[in-house]
Amino acid sequence: MKRTLFVFLLGLAGGLLAHSSWYIAHQPDTSNGLDAQLAWMKSSLHLSDQQFARIKELHARSSPQLLALGTQVARMRAEFAAFENTRRTTGEVDFLEFAHFVEQRRAVDRECAESTRRLIVAAVSVMTQQQRDQYCRTLLKSGVKTTAIDSIN
Amino acid sequence: MHPPSDPLDPLLERWRDAAPPLPEHLTAEIWRRIAAAETPAQQLSLFARIEAVFARPSFAVAFVAACTMLGLFLAEVRLSRLQAEHNAQLVQSYLKLIDPLLETAATTRSEAAAPQS
Repeated sequence: MKRTLFVFLLGLAGGLLAHSSWYIAHQPDTSNGLDAQLAWMKSSLHLSDQQFARIKELHARSSPQLLALGTQVARMRAEFAAFENTRRTTGEVDFLEFAHFVEQRRAVDRECAESTRRLIVAAVSVMTQQQRDQYCRTLLKSGVKTTAIDSIN
Repeated sequence: MHPPSDPLDPLLERWRDAAPPLPEHLTAEIWRRIAAAETPAQQLSLFARIEAVFARPSFAVAFVAACTMLGLFLAEVRLSRLQAEHNAQLVQSYLKLIDPLLETAATTRSEAAAPQS
């Protein structure tokens, strides 16, 4: 009985030790920055070192502008929510201010779409046809503005 | 000299000739009792068998090795699930970076789908 219990506990301890040590040793890096995103692109699209270097350069060049646009879009969304809130509570709309907002919003949207299109076009120009197809499929599946991708195909 | 005649004698004579009727389902009842009597013995023999198997060094080594392999397999399953989740997060953050309108588009779509208040 003692021997059976000993062997059973030894097996259990061996399993737990193997599990935890393997899990800790192979835990993936969970950072979400641009480098991690590009590393994901490299592995999922099987980019060569040369392709990766070019794509990294393109993204590094575009990302400050895209981040600034992202901030601007978020600010405009908040402004729109404030407009909507005022309309609901007071029932009044400052049409001049709203028209100005809409104009600004359209300009930002255009700029966003153009920046996205430029980056995607530049990135796919470095890729092979197979990589390009896979990249575009990923973008389409996630709802990225199709005009940018349509212009490539 | 004859013993005095007992009034029970003829009755006992009659009982010896005709066997008393068997109770219903006698065979089934016998087998049920046999099975009930054998059950603890079987359990004991199962434990004994397990102990005998674990007492073999080859089985003990194989058991520990199998537990270790199972631990490694489960760790790999957990890791691949974690990797898949992280990849999905990376895709989302990448898409948000390259298309600042993406979130807006999704929000607009959900707002359009929602009923007007």
